[in-house]
Parts: sequence; C-alpha cells; structure tokens
Amino acid sequence: MSARGDLAERTAERHLREPWDELRLPATRAFRSQRAGATFGMWIFLASEVLFFGALFLLYTALRLEHSADFAVAARETNIVYGTLNTALLLTSGMTAAVAVQASEREDLRRLTLLCLAATVALGLAFMVVKGLEYREDIEKHLVPGAHFALKERATQLFFGFYWLSTSIHAIHLAIGIGLLTRLIWREWRSPGLLFKSPQLEVATLYWGFVDLVWIVLYPMLYLDGRSA
Amino acid sequence: MSAQSRKAAGAIWLRALVVWVGLLALLGASLLAAYRLDAPWGPALNFGIAATQAGLVAVLFMRLDRADRLVRLAAACGLFWLAILFTLTLADTLSRLANT
Repeated sequence: MSARGDLAERTAERHLREPWDELRLPATRAFRSQRAGATFGMWIFLASEVLFFGALFLLYTALRLEHSADFAVAARETNIVYGTLNTALLLTSGMTAAVAVQASEREDLRRLTLLCLAATVALGLAFMVVKGLEYREDIEKHLVPGAHFALKERATQLFFGFYWLSTSIHAIHLAIGIGLLTRLIWREWRSPGLLFKSPQLEVATLYWGFVDLVWIVLYPMLYLDGRSA
Repeated sequence: MSAQSRKAAGAIWLRALVVWVGLLALLGASLLAAYRLDAPWGPALNFGIAATQAGLVAVLFMRLDRADRLVRLAAACGLFWLAILFTLTLADTLSRLANT
C-alpha cells in the first residue's frame, strides 16, 4: 500500500466510532461517512440554536418596535469601547479557528493547528475578561433592572433585561466552546496526531463559528443604537 | 517545515486574513454609521452590515462554500424557520402598532 493510503487507513482507524466501525465498510470510506455525518449533525444542532437565539432576537425586535426611543436611551449607556473590542476579539478568534481546522487537514501542519487553537482559546478568554470588566461597570452604574435602576425611562429596564439575558447566555455558549477546544488541545498534546482530519475538531470549530455569529448580531442591538443623538 | 508545508500554510493564512480584514473593515463601518447616521438609516445599515459579517463567517470561516448539499440544506432550514417565526410574529405586532 502507498504511504498516502497507509496514512488514510491509520487516520480512519484512529477516529472511527460506533456505528461506523461495525458497518463492515472499508475503513477510509466509513471514516468519510462518519466525518460527513458529524458535520451534518452539527449543522442540524446549529439550526436548532438559530431558533433558540432567534426567539431572543425576536423579543428584542418586538420590544424595540414599541419602545424605540427608550431603547436608544438605554443603548447609549452600554460601553461601546468594551463592546467593539469584544467584537474584534471574537472576529479574530473566528479566523484562528478557521485556520486551525483547515491546517488539521494536513499532517505536516500539526504545529499550526495547535497554535491556532491555543490562540482561539486565548482570544475567547480575553473576551470573557473584557465582558467581566463591563459587567462590573454596569453593576456600578446601577444598570441591573430592579428597584435601584439608574434610568428613568420605563422601557430602559426591558432593554437591560434583554442585555443581561442575551449576553449571559452567549457567555455560557462561549465558555462551552472554550472547554471543547481546550479539551482537544489537551488530547492532541497527550497523543500527537489526534487532530489530523478529526471530526471532533470540525464540529468544535463550527460551534465556535456559531458563537461568533450570535455576537455579530448582538453587537448592533446592544451597542450601536442611539449613538447619533 | 518543508517548502510544500510553508506554501500550504501561507495559502490558508492568506485566505483567512483577507476575510478577517474585511470583517474588521465592516466593524469600523458600522461604528461610523452608528455615530453619523440617524434612525432609521443608522440601525438599518448596521443590521445590514451585521448580516453581511454573519454571511462571511458562515460561508468562509464555517466553510459552507465547500459543504455538501445536505449541510447547506440544514443551514438554510434554520434560516427558513427563523423567517417564519419573525414573519408571523411581526405581522401581528406591526399591525397592532399601525392601528394604535
């Protein structure tokens, strides 16, 4: 068997999981099906996540239509420096995740795959730190809905209710993404070559891309409204 | 790293960096529009820019451009049901607001 064929066999045997290893298909063909199945399954999950976040975005849209002036007042109170910095961090992490998954297609780019995954995790953690600083500032400015809320306009509490709900759900998703990628880095460190053509890396970076997408939509909702006034 | 590996890594980086620069340029444009354009043009442009950025990430970073038809169909289904959710709900909300 050629060196390339041998490598494909070894890669397939390393990654094959149930039921693909019991279908009695040639290993390389079963592996192709497993990868396609993993990607397809992840996109179905992401489509369900689109509806989950879509319901939140619909809530924002309906509330903003009814209280556009109050929402503009409230959005001016969010910290645009933190929001813009976090958007740039996540867009950059999306790039490093994309480079990592493309580099994992070649066995000789293992180092690049690992470096880009580590950079993605570091950028995700940096996002969390900036978000933490922003939350601290928001709490100090009494921007948490309740008895001591800082703004007089009534619907501004609705805006900040959405702000806390959507950003905390996004942060939970990002934390899961950081956990998934850290696990993959750890496993590659322990057994070199594991990430080569790995379906796990493919689905984890797809998830990361989706977390990016959610923030891209949240940014104009939470930070850009009402700035021109 | 062999010359072939370097060439492959360079091609991956070039493609990713071009998209990344485009995304950051759009981020700058949305920031500018937020301060320069009044409602409804500012928010409308900013949501348009966000949709463009999301499209670039989905197609080029999440590799929908190279995905097979079934995967593209799964992605399109998410948007299709989202469109139904928005259309039906906003048809009610907007008609109520128009009649108050």
